[in-house]
Amino acid sequence: MGRSNRASNQWSREIQDIVRGASGGFLFGVPLLYTMEVWWIGSSVKMPRLILAMLLTFFIVLMLNRTAGFRKATDTTLQDELMDTVEAIAIGLVCTGLMLILLREITWETALPESLGKLIYESIPFTLGVALANQFFSGENEADTSSSKSKTATQHSQGTLTNTFADIGSTLIGAMIIAFNIAPTDEVPMLAAAVDGLWLLGFMGASLVISYTIVFGAGFTNQPKRRQQQGLFQRPISETVMSYLVSLAAACVMLVFFDKLQWDDSWQIWLSHSILLGLPATVGGAAGRLAI
Amino acid sequence: MENSAESPQDPQDSSIKIANPPTTARSTAEKISFGLASLVVAAIAGLVIFSWATERDRPPVLTLQQSGNIRHTNRQFYVPFELSNIGGETAESVQVSAELKVNGEVKETGNVEIDFLARDEKAEGAFVFHQNPEKGELVIRVSSYKKP
Repeated sequence: MGRSNRASNQWSREIQDIVRGASGGFLFGVPLLYTMEVWWIGSSVKMPRLILAMLLTFFIVLMLNRTAGFRKATDTTLQDELMDTVEAIAIGLVCTGLMLILLREITWETALPESLGKLIYESIPFTLGVALANQFFSGENEADTSSSKSKTATQHSQGTLTNTFADIGSTLIGAMIIAFNIAPTDEVPMLAAAVDGLWLLGFMGASLVISYTIVFGAGFTNQPKRRQQQGLFQRPISETVMSYLVSLAAACVMLVFFDKLQWDDSWQIWLSHSILLGLPATVGGAAGRLAI
Repeated sequence: MENSAESPQDPQDSSIKIANPPTTARSTAEKISFGLASLVVAAIAGLVIFSWATERDRPPVLTLQQSGNIRHTNRQFYVPFELSNIGGETAESVQVSAELKVNGEVKETGNVEIDFLARDEKAEGAFVFHQNPEKGELVIRVSSYKKP
């Protein structure tokens, strides 16, 4: 009994480490995923340069793993760091690949060298994000937990409404920080041209899963506090859905602000563009709720 | 009985540091996920090296052909085409042009630019004419491209 317990413990810890790494990757990598120049450079890049890019990433991530990393363990040897580096690159590659498929930048018709170019170039910031995952919300480490707890206690007394507004506010700020850079660019209409019908549902699903994972799945330092916080939508699922709606609204407002959506556009354009920009907005919103 | 050995493994909050086993002994879970990770990285690196080995170091070869039948809707004629690059390198800003001659006189022309066409990649599009291309002579050709 003890053994199976320990094994499941091992697995849950390992999965949490990987999920934490992936969450860090999404925070860092999503803005570059919405940059068409990188898709183009990836399309025409020569293979030797890709190998060079992979090697460079390896060394940079190895350096980062010596200081930050995505695991909670602090006492690591060089061998551990090498292994973690390989894992960080793999997490980066897999998540980037899934995102590029979701964005329809890699399809069945994409030629192999082109897919590899896009995948490897886009995965570089993603992998850096994985390696920095622990560093992201380092504002409060274990020493800080007590102070954040007392802060939470005072928030309790302020009532649920204040907390709800605090949640909405931090979601909005986070969504703005990430999506404001993407809203005025041409990527959103370009992606919208390639994405149709049911694919948008995939976008919504991915946004919800990524948001949930970052806030509740990844074991970032701030999570116990989030679970304690009282608010109108304080169950993980309802918080995720509510913050997704807030991020979608923020994305829509930003698009209107930059004149990317006009009143006489059809409602399908409003919907698809908001959902597409909603993904980076949601990632930002999730980060916002953890950080603030 | 095993409880005493098990207690520091409490996965919750404060005991995180203790919960991590000494680094020399990696857990099975870590070993398996490292195995999978190496597989992913090796596969991608392998694909890059494979593409490098088969990379043909020669300029783009662009082939253009009419694909499918001419579609006639709303008094317009749509002539679909398919452009593919069977050469080695990527071509940028590929210009495809079409001319419709009726009785030896150029009646209508059309132009399309394809942003990028990597090796073995295909692009599809259509030219639109007001006159029936089947009643005249239609010439579609690739007119230019630039190196990326």
